[in-house]
Amino acid sequence: MRLVRIWFEKKGMIRYISHLDLMRTVTRAIRRSEIPLWYTEGFNPHPYMTFSLPLSLGMESECESMDIKIEGDITDSEILGKLTAAMPDGIHVTAVTEPVFDPKEIAYGEFTLDFDGDFDREKMKEAINSLLSQDEIIIQKLGKKGHKKVMKELDLKPLIFDPAITDTESGVRLFVRLPAGSKTNVNPSLLADLIGKEVPEAVCLITRKRLLMSDLTEFK
Amino acid sequence: MVSKKIEKILPLVQKPGRYTGGELNSVVKDKSKVDIRYAFCFPDCYEIGMSHLGIKILYAAANERDDVWCERVFAPWHDMEEEMRKRALPLYALESGDPIKDFDLIGFTLQYELSYTNVLNMLDLAGLPVRAKDRTSLTPIVVGGGPCACNPEPLAEFFDIFSLGEGEEVSNELFDLLKECKKEGTSKQEFLRRAAKIEGIYVPSLYDISYHEDGTIKAITPKETAPEKVKKRIISDLDTVSYPDKFIVPFIEVVHDRVVHEIFRGCIRGCRFCQAGFLYRPIREKSPEVINEQCKALCKSTGYDEISLSSLSTSDYTRLETLINKLFDWTIPEKINIALPSLRVDNFSDELMEKLQTVRRSGLTFAPEAGTQRLRDAINKNVTEKEVLETSRKAFSGGWTAVKLYFMLGLPTETLDDVAGIADLSQRVVDEFYRNQDKPKGKGVQVSISVASFVPKPFTPFQWEAQNTRDELKVKQEHLLASVKTKKVRVSYHKIDISFLEGVLARGDRRLCDVIEKAWKNGCKFDSWDDSFKIDVWEKTFEECGIDPLFYSSRKRDFSEVLPWDHLDYGIRKQFLIDENKKAYAGETTDHCRIQCAGCGANRLNGGKCDALSKNMV
Ligand code: SF4
Repeated sequence: MRLVRIWFEKKGMIRYISHLDLMRTVTRAIRRSEIPLWYTEGFNPHPYMTFSLPLSLGMESECESMDIKIEGDITDSEILGKLTAAMPDGIHVTAVTEPVFDPKEIAYGEFTLDFDGDFDREKMKEAINSLLSQDEIIIQKLGKKGHKKVMKELDLKPLIFDPAITDTESGVRLFVRLPAGSKTNVNPSLLADLIGKEVPEAVCLITRKRLLMSDLTEFK
Repeated sequence: MVSKKIEKILPLVQKPGRYTGGELNSVVKDKSKVDIRYAFCFPDCYEIGMSHLGIKILYAAANERDDVWCERVFAPWHDMEEEMRKRALPLYALESGDPIKDFDLIGFTLQYELSYTNVLNMLDLAGLPVRAKDRTSLTPIVVGGGPCACNPEPLAEFFDIFSLGEGEEVSNELFDLLKECKKEGTSKQEFLRRAAKIEGIYVPSLYDISYHEDGTIKAITPKETAPEKVKKRIISDLDTVSYPDKFIVPFIEVVHDRVVHEIFRGCIRGCRFCQAGFLYRPIREKSPEVINEQCKALCKSTGYDEISLSSLSTSDYTRLETLINKLFDWTIPEKINIALPSLRVDNFSDELMEKLQTVRRSGLTFAPEAGTQRLRDAINKNVTEKEVLETSRKAFSGGWTAVKLYFMLGLPTETLDDVAGIADLSQRVVDEFYRNQDKPKGKGVQVSISVASFVPKPFTPFQWEAQNTRDELKVKQEHLLASVKTKKVRVSYHKIDISFLEGVLARGDRRLCDVIEKAWKNGCKFDSWDDSFKIDVWEKTFEECGIDPLFYSSRKRDFSEVLPWDHLDYGIRKQFLIDENKKAYAGETTDHCRIQCAGCGANRLNGGKCDALSKNMV
């Protein structure tokens, strides 16, 4: 038995399926691929599979990964080949590697927010700039207080790193690095929503580009 | 691929995965290379529709043809509909994203009466007039099929044609005809005239209905090419008819998310209340070898880890043990679970029981349907109390602790004693658990009883019966609740109002078309969903239309009355149904088909053949 990390992209319409649905979809793809899975012992044997960091519904990603346990003789490149053939449209397996870091140690995510639509680019850039130059960016966030769910205020300002605005073929792109992982997590859609309020014609596509450790090395 | 405009609204709705298409094994073709674009519509939401076996079978069968592209369409949920209407986006098919109003054929599968308003809503959302007469061009032709097509009269004004019986073969004839008519550039009327000559195709506009003064039907008169009686179609040999080797694998969780395999059609039991038991006759079995191979192919192409063997009364399949052993050979090593939805444990050998347990245990269910032997005899439900208790005991010894029992209220001849009998029987199952030496240690028992209201349906011996009124049913429900004395028995009911409407629509005639259209215009849709069902609007609509719903639901008909579906032939002889009805009142049972053919007549559809008789005379 050995542990392998499968890397894949989630793009296109499949971004509209939730994390739970993705797990089911991928489990079936692995079964179809007929790679030799390791199963738990006992009454109801099941394979071992964990995802590094769930992705929100509606986002694309270029850096998804999951760990599975394999039994029997099969090389990483064979696994890659079989999985590639079995995945549905929108999931593209990019690599199969030995896990290096613990997903619990993931600290940041890098995202692009691509704004598209019938709007004036300068107006969009201005909207983004003026948002990011505020002293505080206060948002309401659903949080927990004891067992109850309550609305909490959160200042996003100190949590946004390395913002960069560029032009794309059809609109404007904002790049940001945000805390991600099991400790603090800022969902980039919070930013997209704030900008969307200023420029309602815009449609925003968010892509997770990379996951980073606390020392900013890439999660491997 | 769905359009950019649809993509834009997906972030605004719940479960956007319902609307994206692109699932594994969905079929995408080059539209410039096909002659017939076919929109197969299920008038309910994605999760319900995608769980349905018929759509998978017919989708695969249609797409086997190079000249046809069959796509799926489901009813958008309220939130999606709102967004679509706001932006004037028409109903589209999932595979191409193209508006279905431009398709050649639009098919609706009619699985339950309470989906009728959704049919209208989907046509409207597509941008089409809901009435057939207002759709004047040759295409799209709107066709309805499925069990409710056995009395399609309440929908007669909305559909161009109905397809009676099993669709695998007749669809092909329909595609050919439509292709021919398109090529010749015929009128829609000419298409209908020709379609009426196809066996199994019912063209409602080619029949005139006249009424007596008391509101009952006087005559049903065919016109032009229409036959006196339209005979349903059946597939004679299930082993050779096309069966999908691929199922579409939904991204989002649907109700039945697994390989489903049909092992036979029809039912030998002859329960007098059960429409399916008569509608799908005669009995035709599929061979274990074919089922086994097809299941293997399906598991391979989908990656599913569960197979459900589907049929009415699964344990009546004559070669069940052979089949299960064949399946176990490969499903156990591959960790695939086998589910038998209507499991009667008594038919199984202990060894088989053991094996089924090493896989995964599903709940144990029974359907005694009635609480007393007298009433079970009247409805010909061949289950005795002894059997229920014995099987429960066996199951308890095997580790089960939960039992689900299905009953009905409002059956013909039912008295309050019969109602109390439901509570008594459930109590005895509880007692059986505690009396059992090998019961699971340290666990309690839970007996859940699910109580539906009886709805008389066409083509059953009870098609002439009066449905209990809502007040009568309420009294019976209360009596049952008062009769249950223990917390180990949990009672759940179907909504009485919903059964009432189902009862009206099931045996309705063409005069209900106005009611359905108006109810839909008044905001009714998704009527089978408790949260969406608006009984007050329906009641108001009946009033507005001057129609007394009780005329349809709670009026006892005379055997001599012309019934709205009398011109449709499902193989079952009317005299057989009359005899069965009389036997019910006399408390006489009819043996199941393996003991003695009761002469229902359905075998005539299959050249006199019926597998109930030929295969199990061991
Ligand atoms: S033909 Fe006879 S054996 Fe076959 S279903 Fe009818 S009654 Fe049963």
